[in-house]
Amino acid sequence: MTGFLSKWRSAGFASVLLIVLLVINLPLNPARFYPSAWGALIGLAAPLIGAALASTPVILSGRGGIDISVGPLMGFVNAIVIQTLFLRAGIGTPLVLVPAALLVGALIGAINGFLTTIIRIQPIVATLGTYLVLTGVTLTILPAPIGPAPGWLKAMAGSLSILPLATIFVAWWIVRRFPYYDLLMAVGSDDRAAYTAGVDVTRVRFVAYVITGVFAGIAGLMLTALIGSADPNIGQTYTLIAVAAVALGGVSLAGGRGGLIGAAIGAIDIFLLQSVLTSFNVSIYVLQIAYGAILVAAVILTAVQERAARKERA
Amino acid sequence: MPNLTAWMAGTNGRIFGAFVIAAALHVAGTIMIPGYSSSFAIRAMLVIASLLAVASIGQTLVVILGGIDLSIPFIIGFANVVAAQLYGDGWNFVAVCLLVGVMALAIGAFNGFISRKLDIHPLIVTLGVGMVVQGCVLLWTAGFPSGSAPAAVSAFVSIGGSVGPLPVPWLVPSLVVLAALIILVLARSPYGRRLYALGSNPGAAPLALIDPVKMWSITFALSALFAAVAGVLLLGFTGSAYGDVGQPYLFQTIAAVVVGGAALVGGRGNYLGTIAGVLVLTEINTLLIGLGFQPAAVQAALGLIILLYGRERHVSTTI
Repeated sequence: MTGFLSKWRSAGFASVLLIVLLVINLPLNPARFYPSAWGALIGLAAPLIGAALASTPVILSGRGGIDISVGPLMGFVNAIVIQTLFLRAGIGTPLVLVPAALLVGALIGAINGFLTTIIRIQPIVATLGTYLVLTGVTLTILPAPIGPAPGWLKAMAGSLSILPLATIFVAWWIVRRFPYYDLLMAVGSDDRAAYTAGVDVTRVRFVAYVITGVFAGIAGLMLTALIGSADPNIGQTYTLIAVAAVALGGVSLAGGRGGLIGAAIGAIDIFLLQSVLTSFNVSIYVLQIAYGAILVAAVILTAVQERAARKERA
Repeated sequence: MPNLTAWMAGTNGRIFGAFVIAAALHVAGTIMIPGYSSSFAIRAMLVIASLLAVASIGQTLVVILGGIDLSIPFIIGFANVVAAQLYGDGWNFVAVCLLVGVMALAIGAFNGFISRKLDIHPLIVTLGVGMVVQGCVLLWTAGFPSGSAPAAVSAFVSIGGSVGPLPVPWLVPSLVVLAALIILVLARSPYGRRLYALGSNPGAAPLALIDPVKMWSITFALSALFAAVAGVLLLGFTGSAYGDVGQPYLFQTIAAVVVGGAALVGGRGNYLGTIAGVLVLTEINTLLIGLGFQPAAVQAALGLIILLYGRERHVSTTI
C-alpha cells in the first residue's frame, strides 16, 4: 500500500497538472475534446506518448542511462517502412511491416545497448552518436517527404491508435511479471549494490536498451500512421520532448524510480499544454517560451514536492 | 612496459591519443585533398577551431562538475542576436557586451542553482531555460534579427587577419593565453580543486566544506558567459546576426569534451583534452566536406567518431 502511495506521489504532480489542463482545455476546445473526437485526439497524442514510453526503460536502468536516439529511430522506422518497404519493394501487408518495424527498433536498441553496456560509452554520448548516424541515414534514404502510407496504417491514426499504445502497456505489464523488472529497478537504484549481490548489471542494462528500441519501433509506426507519409525531418523533434515528458511524469533521471504510467501522464500533459497554447492562437515564439518555462516550473515543483514528501517520512 | 597501457587508458593517455588522431587526420587530408595544408586552409581551421574551443570552455567545466549544459547553443544565439541588435540601435559596444555578459551570467547561475539546489537533472533545466531564452529572443526580433558587428570584432576573428608577423587573427593567440589560464586555474586554484572534488564525489565534497550549490551556480554562470563570448565572436565571424548560429555547438561541445577524455559522470578531464577534441572535430569536419560528402553524411560520420570514444569503467571497478 505504501509502495502504491509513493508511486502516485512521484507522478502526483503530473496527475494534478493533467486534471488542471483538462479543465482548461474543455471550454477552450469543446469540439476537439468531445467524446466523438477522442479517437482523433488520441491519434494526435500517440507518437509523443509512444516516444515517452520508449524513453523510460533505459532511464530506469540508471547511471546516466538515456536514449536520445529514440526520436531519430522513430523517423528511421518511418522512412524504412514507407520508402524502402512499401514504395520500393511494394510490400504493404501489416504481417511484414509491423515485424519489420519492431525488428529495426530491436536492432538499433541492441546496437545502443552494445555501445553503452559492453563497449561502455556514456549513454548520452553513444546515443548521440546513433542519433547523428540515424538522422544522416534517414536523410540519405529519404531526401524529401514522400507518401502515402498503406491504408491500414493510416486507419491507425484515429481511435485505433489505442492499439499500439495498449500493446506497449501490455508488453510492459508482462515484463513486470518477470524477475527482470526487479533486477532493472535494483540496478537503476544502486548498480554497485546490485553488482555485489550477483546481478548481471551489463545484461540487465542491455535488455533495457533493446526494450526501448522495440517500443521506439512501435512509436515510429504510430508516427507514420499520424502523418500518413514519410518525412525525414520529423522524428528528431520527439527526443527532447519525450525526455521532458518522462521527467515530468516523475521518472527519476537518476534511475530506479518511476514507471510507464507516469511517463504517459507526463506526455499527455505536454500534449494538452500544446493544445491550450495553440488555442490561444499565440505566436509560435510565445509557444516556445511558455513551453520551456512550464517545463522548468514543472520539474521544480516536482522536486519541491519530492523534498517535502521525504521530510514528511523522516 | 606494464605502465604504458595504464597510462594510455588514463586521462593523459586519451588526450595524447586525441592529439595524435588530429595530426593523423591532418596528414590524411594533406595527402588526399590538394590545398588542405595551404596557409589559408590552416588559418581557417584555426579560427573555426578557436570558436569551438571558446564555446567548449563552459561545457568542460560543467562536465568536470558532473553536469551537462544544453543551454550553450541558445545562449550563443541569444548573445549573437542581442549584441547585433543593440549595436545596430546605436549602443556603445562595450556597454552591449557588459549587458549581454551580465545577462548570460544570471541565466547560467539560475541553471546551476536550480539544478543543484533542487536536485533536478541539469539536462532538463538547461534545455527548458534555453528554450525560454531562444523564444524571448525570437519574440523580441520577430524572427528577423538585424544589426551587424563592429569592425573591431570582425577584425579580431577574421581569417585574413594577422598579429604582427604571425599570419593569424588575434583570436588565435588570445585563445592560447585563455587556454593556458584555464588549465592553470583548473590545476592550481582552489576553485579548480573544488571543481574536481565535487565532480568525483558529490557526497564527500560538502563534508570538506565545499558548498555544492555555490559551485554549481558559479560554474554554470561561467559556462553561459563563455557561450555568450562565443556568440559575440561568431557575430564578428559571420558578419550578421542569426538566432540559430549556435545549434551545431550543442553536440560539438559535448563531443569535444568527451573526445578529450572527460567523463560525463564528473571528476575527470581537463581543458587541454577539450582542445585536442576540438582539433579532432575540426579536422574531421574539414576533411569530410573537402572529400565532397553531403552534410547529412558528415553528420553521420561525426556520430560514428563520437562512438569511438569515451569508454567508462566497468561497474566492478567502482566498488
